[in-house]
Amino acid sequence: MKLFDVLLGRTKPAQPNLDHLFGLPGAQITLEASLGLRPTGAAGVCFKPAAGQQFAQTTSEVEQLLDLGEGVKVHEESDSYGYRWIVVEDNDFGDLINEVHVVNTTLEDHGWGPQLLCSVFAFSPIAGGASDPAGAAGGAKVAGTYLVYLYKRGTFYPFVPLPSAEKRDSERERLLNVTLATDLAIEPDLERWFPLWGLPVH
Amino acid sequence: MLTTIFLLGLLYALFVTVLFLVGLKLVFILVIAFVLLFVQYFYSDRIALYSMGGKIVTREQAPQLHGVVDRLCAMADMPKPQVAIANVDMPNAFATGRDKKHAVLCVTTGILRRLDEPELEAVLAHELSHVAHRDVAVMTIASFLGILAGLLTRVLLYAGLFGGFGGGGNRGRGGGGNAGGQLAIIELGMLLFSAVIYAISFMLIRTLSRYRELAADRSGAILIGQPRLLAQALVKVSGEMSRIPTRDLRAAEHFNAFFFAPAFAKGVSLSSLFSTHPSLERRLQQLTELEAQMGRTA
Repeated sequence: MKLFDVLLGRTKPAQPNLDHLFGLPGAQITLEASLGLRPTGAAGVCFKPAAGQQFAQTTSEVEQLLDLGEGVKVHEESDSYGYRWIVVEDNDFGDLINEVHVVNTTLEDHGWGPQLLCSVFAFSPIAGGASDPAGAAGGAKVAGTYLVYLYKRGTFYPFVPLPSAEKRDSERERLLNVTLATDLAIEPDLERWFPLWGLPVH
Repeated sequence: MLTTIFLLGLLYALFVTVLFLVGLKLVFILVIAFVLLFVQYFYSDRIALYSMGGKIVTREQAPQLHGVVDRLCAMADMPKPQVAIANVDMPNAFATGRDKKHAVLCVTTGILRRLDEPELEAVLAHELSHVAHRDVAVMTIASFLGILAGLLTRVLLYAGLFGGFGGGGNRGRGGGGNAGGQLAIIELGMLLFSAVIYAISFMLIRTLSRYRELAADRSGAILIGQPRLLAQALVKVSGEMSRIPTRDLRAAEHFNAFFFAPAFAKGVSLSSLFSTHPSLERRLQQLTELEAQMGRTA
């Protein structure tokens, strides 16, 4: 931060960085090959709704835009932290990435970039997949495997919640971290791997 | 909220003044002053936490609070500060620490009990803005400079007047008793003058503090995207709920315009010069303007 900004008590709202989303197709192949994980076809864009009519218009605009596409399902959800989720479902992973990108750029173009929190992509083990090194038991234990994209950082982190209340499988997350290190920019600061309990993406 | 830092600064100013009055060598006082500045700068997080009785809480102990802070930090792209809770019923929150990496965010159980979740989030966003703006570092250094200015004025004045008095003595005017009386008057004058210098710097620092509170309000409100929530939280915390009817603040806008006018017509009052925080009216006004602005542009 510049000295002048420090003296005046100014910070610029952090702007999102969307470029790294397109590293996901590579990560998908790696996940399937080495861990037996496949995208569930669902992704979520999480943001903080801002005050004003304009924002309501923007979100409905996004939904209209995506509803036009074929095989795309979109719905909106709120979570207990007061954030809103635009959940996109599309069985083609490449299309899904594009759609998530559209949601983000539409919000960004309307000046709501600073309100974006993260995007989440859901993965699940291939049914009966023997290639899962954690074994069938390990695969059944987790409630889902997620890749979280932090806009402001341009980095990803894995999130593996356990079905029991608010616990996460840190070991599995570290394994994913190592596996994906070459495909994606993984967030180096572990403090920022915050849990997203009860996220509406499955 | 920087009140704690101010009390520390005041204590520190008194301490240095006492040292000077006791008659310690200037170099000595400067060394002690710098050591204190160093301690204050590097241990402000622990001092403030200790003075409020705050305890660092882990994610398991306060999952909800941690979750809110996590998300705000991710949106603002800043490292997450440590989170602490003080078991005090007074509704308050403060952020401390010299930079983003050594910050502690502390809330009292009183504020947790009184505010609902979105309001608490607004208060946390305000406190995180203090961290992002590095307010503790700026205010610590500013108050130190104020004390230094007071001290230097005193020293220079002392040296100048003492030289002047010596010159007068050489000309042989006045007896010994007269000189003693003069010395006492000069001493008194110097004391008054340095008190004035300190008072001015004190007021300037308070002005700076009020400015930075408004800056943190603004950044915090922009971060959560809803200035109204921060305004609500401020009204609740100030215990001035009765002043504004139970209506939404946006609905009360025209009422506010009427309400704020007499406050400004009065001009600058003494209490507004000495307070570390801007008046509630001033803060609410800024937030109301911001809310209106967000509705217009996008």
